Amino acid sequence: MFYSPVITNAKEVTASERLHLFKFVEDPQQQKLAIYESHGGYTAWRKVLSSMTFEQVALEVKNSGLRGRGGAGFPTGMKWTFVPKDSPKPRYLVCNADESEPGTCKDRVLLERDPHAVIEGMAIAAFAIKSHLMICYIRGEFGYSIKVMEAAMHDAYSKGHLGKNIYGSGYDLEMLVFTGGGAYICGEETAMISSLEGEKGLARIRPPFPAIEGLYACPTIVNNVETLAAVPHIINRGAAWYRTMGTEKSTGTKIFSLSGHVKRPGNYEVELGFSLRKLLYDPAYGNGILNDKKLKGVIPGGASTPFLTPEMIDVGLDYESLASIGSMLGSGGVIVFDEDTCIIWTIYKLIHFFRHESCGKCTPCREGTGWLEQIVSNILHGNGKPGDLEKIESLCENILGRTICPLGDAAVMPIQSALKHWRDEWQYAIDNHKPMVTTNFAFV
Amino acid sequence: MFKEGSVAEELKAANPPAKAVDTVTFILDGQSITVPKGTSVLEASLNNNIHVPSFCWHPKLKSVGACRMCYVEIEKMPKLMVSCSTEATNGMVVHTNSDLVKRGRKAVLEFTLINHPLDCPTCDKGGECDLQDLTFAHGYDDSRFEFQKYRFTEEGKQSTFDDLRIGPEIVLNRNRCILCFKCVRANKEAFGEYDLGAYERGNITEINAAPGEQVDNPFSGNLVEICPVGALTNTDWRYKIRVWLTEQVPSICPFTSSGSNILFYKERQQNQIYRVTSRRNDLIDDGWLADVTRYGYQIATSEDRLQSPLIKKNGKQAPATWDEAVTLVAKKFKEIAENKGGVCLGALAAPSLDNAALHSLNKLMRHNFQSNNVDFRGEYRMLPKIGDTVYAALASRPFKIADIDTSDVVVVFGSDLHKEHPNEYLRIRKAKQFNRSRVFFINPLATKAADIADAELIYAVGGDELALNALALAGIELGLSDDGKLKGKLGTANFAETALASGIDAGELKLVAKAIAEGRKITFICGELITRSSARENISAAVCNLNKLFGIENKGQIGVLARHANSAGAARLGLLPELSDNLKSELNNLWGKTPEAPGLSTDAMFSVMKKGELNGYLIVGANPMMLYPDRQFVQDAFKALDFLVVADLYETETTALADVVFPLSSWAEYNGHYVNLEGRVQFAEAAIKPKFESKPAHEIVSLIASKFGRPLFGSASEMQAEITNLLKSATVTAWPNDYLQVTISPESRPLDYPVPLMVGDDPHHVGHLTEKSISLSNFVSEAYMEMSPDLAAKHKISSGDQIRVESETGKIIVKAKISSVLDSDTVFIPRNFSATPVNCLLSRKRRTDWVRLSKVQG
Amino acid sequence: MILTAESVAAMKQKAAEYPQRKSAILPCLTIACQQVGHLNESIYREIAKVIHIPYVEIAEAATFYTLFPKKPVGKHLIQVCHNISCALVGADNMIGYLEEKLNIKKGETTPDNKFTLISVECLGSCSTAPMVQVNDEFYENLTRVKVDQVIEELKTKN
Repeated sequence: MFYSPVITNAKEVTASERLHLFKFVEDPQQQKLAIYESHGGYTAWRKVLSSMTFEQVALEVKNSGLRGRGGAGFPTGMKWTFVPKDSPKPRYLVCNADESEPGTCKDRVLLERDPHAVIEGMAIAAFAIKSHLMICYIRGEFGYSIKVMEAAMHDAYSKGHLGKNIYGSGYDLEMLVFTGGGAYICGEETAMISSLEGEKGLARIRPPFPAIEGLYACPTIVNNVETLAAVPHIINRGAAWYRTMGTEKSTGTKIFSLSGHVKRPGNYEVELGFSLRKLLYDPAYGNGILNDKKLKGVIPGGASTPFLTPEMIDVGLDYESLASIGSMLGSGGVIVFDEDTCIIWTIYKLIHFFRHESCGKCTPCREGTGWLEQIVSNILHGNGKPGDLEKIESLCENILGRTICPLGDAAVMPIQSALKHWRDEWQYAIDNHKPMVTTNFAFV
Repeated sequence: MFKEGSVAEELKAANPPAKAVDTVTFILDGQSITVPKGTSVLEASLNNNIHVPSFCWHPKLKSVGACRMCYVEIEKMPKLMVSCSTEATNGMVVHTNSDLVKRGRKAVLEFTLINHPLDCPTCDKGGECDLQDLTFAHGYDDSRFEFQKYRFTEEGKQSTFDDLRIGPEIVLNRNRCILCFKCVRANKEAFGEYDLGAYERGNITEINAAPGEQVDNPFSGNLVEICPVGALTNTDWRYKIRVWLTEQVPSICPFTSSGSNILFYKERQQNQIYRVTSRRNDLIDDGWLADVTRYGYQIATSEDRLQSPLIKKNGKQAPATWDEAVTLVAKKFKEIAENKGGVCLGALAAPSLDNAALHSLNKLMRHNFQSNNVDFRGEYRMLPKIGDTVYAALASRPFKIADIDTSDVVVVFGSDLHKEHPNEYLRIRKAKQFNRSRVFFINPLATKAADIADAELIYAVGGDELALNALALAGIELGLSDDGKLKGKLGTANFAETALASGIDAGELKLVAKAIAEGRKITFICGELITRSSARENISAAVCNLNKLFGIENKGQIGVLARHANSAGAARLGLLPELSDNLKSELNNLWGKTPEAPGLSTDAMFSVMKKGELNGYLIVGANPMMLYPDRQFVQDAFKALDFLVVADLYETETTALADVVFPLSSWAEYNGHYVNLEGRVQFAEAAIKPKFESKPAHEIVSLIASKFGRPLFGSASEMQAEITNLLKSATVTAWPNDYLQVTISPESRPLDYPVPLMVGDDPHHVGHLTEKSISLSNFVSEAYMEMSPDLAAKHKISSGDQIRVESETGKIIVKAKISSVLDSDTVFIPRNFSATPVNCLLSRKRRTDWVRLSKVQG
Repeated sequence: MILTAESVAAMKQKAAEYPQRKSAILPCLTIACQQVGHLNESIYREIAKVIHIPYVEIAEAATFYTLFPKKPVGKHLIQVCHNISCALVGADNMIGYLEEKLNIKKGETTPDNKFTLISVECLGSCSTAPMVQVNDEFYENLTRVKVDQVIEELKTKN
């Protein structure tokens, strides 16, 4: 029926009073503007343009406690207020649809199946920062998402939701869809801005912060797709409503992409604070480990987040709880692996990815990821040497916090957690010149 | 001779803050430091003698924080901070050498070295390599990296030793590159050139020339100088000597009028110069050198130099001793002076000679020979007989290069900056980037420098005054008051008509006029177009009107920039046939009576030579046969002379006609002082002893005077004192009191010659000597005709075709080169190559030269 | 001239859409790659002329991103994700299966120029793994049977 046959919990969301992002994602017509409008679409945008000031919009979103859903978790409304009020320079709102974090496949569902929700969220955010041009940066691999988004954008223009003097309010708003060229680093906001300016997607030092000097040296706000999709709901139903969901500091809902060794991989919208164990084992969600094997470990928030052991999965999925056990909520990409997975193999997959995606500007990330990849590969193939683990730990220390952008941190945090929780497995591989577990996942 | 430290003070004085500058006070390694707001912690440290290391930071480029070497620890901040991009704030407490910082630096160096080849024994950079120095100071003794280092490969090559010749003078070793990106950043940001790029990403990032192209822009030598390791090396230095075997000698560039500060690297025993680098002076050059400046020293070291004096006997020049040659010259000149009078003698001094040479020559002519026929202008077409008072007003104005930095409006009129004032182009570019200055160009043809222009106003060829008048009228349209006095002096046409006649869009004129009117600090530069035009008084009048109307000098600076290394000195020392009353009386005070009647300009001298009324001529360092308009005319003049004496570094077209030739020392071979376009006197120290039997100009002149019976000066210090006093007393010629009449008398072009011709220097050459520099010839070694794609299409010409170019005065054959900049019918031919006598196409009388083109078949 | 008039018109339009022309570099590379199938030096030069941007900036951007092959590729560019979520459910073995089936190694093109097989990083389909991207389309939840079907479909596709 759909382009992407992913499992979602849309039925549960439709039945719920609170869950909202996935309400219509199983309706094949939701892409169409008329259907979107009939489901209440663009009501929030009208409300904003007719009766709210930009400060009120930012305040409402700030009060809702919405935090960036791309991985950083920064309070969205607060970020909007960083744009200097008196700057005469044009402002830009950029929607970060460069979803490339391994384990994460949630933004794609929104882009393909509820594009107008994203457009509406972008528009409201643009209004909040007085921007008249908003750009949706979609990764180049998402061919279908790009098509859908462009079509939705044209429909929105033709019905007057975008363009000049929208709804007679006097506010102009233009939109562009920008296609990426294939680089994970472009999901980082300064690299995304570099890429939008036509340069290579190299990260930039902060300060200056994008909210002050971003795209074309003008104030720019970059928000994730999921974050923006929540905004119309907050405007329609109020910050107080949003706060009834989630936990005190992590309000609202989040879409978690469940993948790996579970019986029901898919995208699930749940309130923040939802039990990780429930997400993995409940029949309505993950339904347990594939082939009923034993769980070995979980990556809770995408490839950049520290691993969790089976003893740690009784944790609520929210920013604070995961931070308190030494991990991160990140993008919400939950990757599950069973007892037949070699830890060194998973780390190799990840460090190879980070090395491949490093932009190469700063020395520690550029050289460090390459070096780490070589050491891990060595150990994986039985050529590890005594002292390798200490070397890895030392290199991780020399990269963590020493780079221009968080990619360096993302590369080393999983390694540090893997060494911490499964050190004996690493030591075994070095001492015995072969990994403890031979990884060979069948393709059936 | 020059004081260290005074540059910093002068810089501060040159750029006084508009209001009281906000400062911040913070603790740096236990000391309390106060710096202007906005200073980075790194700069604050360096300015206080705390050496925070870095690779990728550069004082004139935007900080990128790529190398991570400049870590410091700042209390209350959890991570190590990169000091190059951390602004100092009040109350910050910074530790630049704590244990954490030391460990951080060790780590960065370890990462930097893991793929770096340890080529030190064979790498040119050894001894001046940042990576060597910093590893020794801050790094580990050993590396823990045990894998194969990444190597760039080249197709078909077995070895992994990389040496790609990416430009005429640059060799790249990609393996040594530590990816500080300074070369790419400098090339794009500071120079506006796009022949170098960084490709791929991650740890296979590669810096290389643009695919299929060479790195050959006019500032390319700087890229090698700023490379912190041996990734980029110069072919003129490569494998020749170790830096610690050389000595550094401070000097000044003799090719451009800014007087860039340079360092010679010489080897004493061999009496040889190995290279030139920058000696950063923020008031003049910001540490960047044009390639001419960097590689031009080779004109001094070439083995082709004149070895000894030559005397013409029976129509052939043969080597002679100095005594023979000087005696002959003194005898002949004395004869002419005594029999026919001083008016039958004349002299031409190159405006790149040092003060001592110029002053000595002036005294020899005016005092010893009682002749006022002295001139330093040997490249410009027929000059009016009466002194150019209006032009003089424009050419003697105070100008400070550093003031460009803080100007919010910069206007360039009549100059192709890359070919005339490359250093000023870099300065204006910097002003645009860091100061958001608005930049406007007003030229009769498109120039490369205008890539930074907010508007480029192109006017019809020959309509220089029209363009300026149109600008003035635009100002009046906008409401500026001329007290009703200017409009009438500009003719009957109104603004719209004048704009139309000038060829510039009226809207653009209003835009520029508005910018100048509203600008708070203006720099208005007039270029060589005025200097070399036969209508320069008229054009200068138009500029003076603009100054009065817009009040430019009251809020900035305006003037014609001197064009040669010491033309400002030559003008102030009076190497001109007609002097101001002030200067005349000064010289009379110094030397006793000099003749009352003004002398003849170069062109007038040439005219009377032909009639037999000027019989003896002394040329020092100039080559009018090659550079003066209308080669035939010059040749006829010289052939009619009784006695021609020429002193130059090499045998040239002019020395070929001389009765006596003296081998001249270059600026690198003796101590000299030069006055740059700001009027600043700078000292250039001798790097090597004179080559072969050459002598500095002032010595040659002295010898002639002594043989003549009357030595010029009692002592060297006496001469210095005279020069110093003269320069001190140099005055600025006053602006005209009123608005001036600017007559528009369009010059008709000759029938059958439809194409306007522009002649000037190639960006990699200056004058007639740089051809002898091997490195500069590697960039451009022969003349070409630069033409727009449309013009080429019209004539069905492709790049490389041989073209016959004819004017009313002569014809040449030259190769065509299709330009990416020119977009009108004007063609450009460089004058620096003796194989292509382009000056035979130029007219002495016209203000614009016209040619016709035809393809040479076969 | 390699670029068609359509491509040139599309590029010029892109250049006009953005506040600064240089932003059009990446969209233009995408347009060119869609027309030609890969990029090379001559194409960079043409793009540079069309949108008036220095040629080296186009070349730098083109080499930074992974979606632009620098050499000609087969009609169907099969990109297999080998990152962790896909690898956990057999992607590495799927690559082996495809190599066997097409009789080429990873990185190569079939002799009839129909298929090029490469492995790439995360494609954002982690919950529907293992999967491949062929040109612009995703094929997800793959099994041996489905892979056979997809290859057959592509063999006859125009």
